[in-house]
Amino acid sequence: MPSLAAVRLEAAGCVTGLGDADTTLGALRRGERALQSRPVLGADGGEPVPLALVAGRSLDETAPPNWLRVLKTMLTQIPADAWGSAARPVFVTSSNFGVGSLYAYRRHGDAAHLPFGTPAGCVDWLAGQLGWGPNVTTVSHACVSAHLGLLLASRTLEHRVADRALVFSFDFISPFVTGGFHALKILNAGFPAPYADRPAGSIGLGDGAAFAVLSRDRGDFVIEGQSVFNEMHHFTANRADGTGFAACLAPTREAAAGRKLWLKGHGTGTLEAGKLESAALGAVFPAAPLVSWKGSIGHTLGSCGLVELAIAAAAIRAGNAPGTVGGAAPSFVPQVALEPFSTAGFDAVLCASNAFGGAHAAFLLSHA
Amino acid sequence: MLERFIQAISVADPGAEEPAATRERLKDKFPRGATRRMTQLGMLVGAALDELAPRSDDAVVYASSYAESRALEAYLESFPTASPTMFQTSIHPSAVQQAMIGRQHPVREFFPLTGRAHLVAQAMQAAMLSPAPRVLVCGGEERGTWLLAQGYASARSFAFALALTSGPGEAIGKIALARSADQPAALPLETFFAALAARQPLDLVAAPGMRLNLAWL
Repeated sequence: MPSLAAVRLEAAGCVTGLGDADTTLGALRRGERALQSRPVLGADGGEPVPLALVAGRSLDETAPPNWLRVLKTMLTQIPADAWGSAARPVFVTSSNFGVGSLYAYRRHGDAAHLPFGTPAGCVDWLAGQLGWGPNVTTVSHACVSAHLGLLLASRTLEHRVADRALVFSFDFISPFVTGGFHALKILNAGFPAPYADRPAGSIGLGDGAAFAVLSRDRGDFVIEGQSVFNEMHHFTANRADGTGFAACLAPTREAAAGRKLWLKGHGTGTLEAGKLESAALGAVFPAAPLVSWKGSIGHTLGSCGLVELAIAAAAIRAGNAPGTVGGAAPSFVPQVALEPFSTAGFDAVLCASNAFGGAHAAFLLSHA
Repeated sequence: MLERFIQAISVADPGAEEPAATRERLKDKFPRGATRRMTQLGMLVGAALDELAPRSDDAVVYASSYAESRALEAYLESFPTASPTMFQTSIHPSAVQQAMIGRQHPVREFFPLTGRAHLVAQAMQAAMLSPAPRVLVCGGEERGTWLLAQGYASARSFAFALALTSGPGEAIGKIALARSADQPAALPLETFFAALAARQPLDLVAAPGMRLNLAWL
């Protein structure tokens, strides 16, 4: 039972390994890569893997976490309001929160890391640091976390539980998560080439943080056709017939009827998921150019849906969208756009993300 | 005011039972061999959900403050040779996914939430805002070991599941969220679990702007 409610996007912004939304957009259009080859366990060494860290940040966790300054800087872009009050809820979404602090504690035995290690402890601390009230709902569903925050926030507006909502997302990588993806054998020395038909797949991981301010009637963008679907087929694989992707896209197809779209896919650089996703998107929206930006900024995990929303909004404002950075011909499907293109003539962008457990999420973003 | 009727409830209270004992006790409730890789929380939440016979058009809301504490501990202990199994099992929504993947049971909406003082009310709000005909709200914790010793895991294992609908049907209870300007109080997940297990009513401002009322019919 998807929600097709439309909400307005009042403001959005992000931080990636390339900078803020506008800086990231410009760098992506120039084909720049934030990913750099770094030891998988930071100071503890290990194989080199592609990682995109925010400028000046170390992979190794500190107490308090070294990403707090990044979030405080991003906070200055968020319109001031009584965030965290009854009518101004905050929806915090992340996959990893401060779990890198638990790795640091386990590695070095310094209990100063512990208060940031659990999701609830991390968010309570963060709310105090960022000046929010107690109305903070926390969502954690791996790499579709941000989409769920948008959907919940939209529903509070739709049902007039809230007047304005802040969705806030962050995932800063640490040896905890780089070690995990490396163990899954998809984080290797090969840099990601989303949707490229090649012998081996790989992904890169990146720092990401983003926000979106939603309201019922203010803002020059509309988010609609929000859809989610959970295959519950396998922890780290999708159904081979692609039905999970199709089930998620069906409601967005209805919402997109009669409109000309471009597509911002999930596109991490894995082969099987990339083939399934591009095939599903190609089947539902055959004429729409498809891009992924994770070949540059890396997979920003639970924040990716919101980070890429902010970049997509900036691209529409600028009238030009980046192509699939790091991708190369031949692509899985011919509609993969490897070069930047004008967004003039397009009515909306479909933004899609996927996650562990065969979770899928998508929405449409367009001018109001 | 948001209001839903409780059609069914299931609670799991294993006391001080260790995960191996839970596995032995509950193994027949899951597909053959499935419990070998399941966590205690996964088995408890899975058994509680199973009692409610999940349907493909149900939405699922999951609430846990600490979630997969044992898998998290095991994953951290596995370094420098990180365990891929413990990594994927340690993610927050894993308990529900273990159960649903074991049964190959897709659902459209799945909202895994975390938090502390206001988690229960926030989970109920997520459930009541869902357009699904029936929403299963589940939650729980598992007792940690070295994280518990540091105060960063639950001291108790438990799980629950509720089936909520808009219409009364054969309801056994009712849960409502009304607007309130009063100062919110904490409603820990374990307190909510205890009220469910004992069929006790609740009436408190459980999150900013939200008075939670739980009544048994």
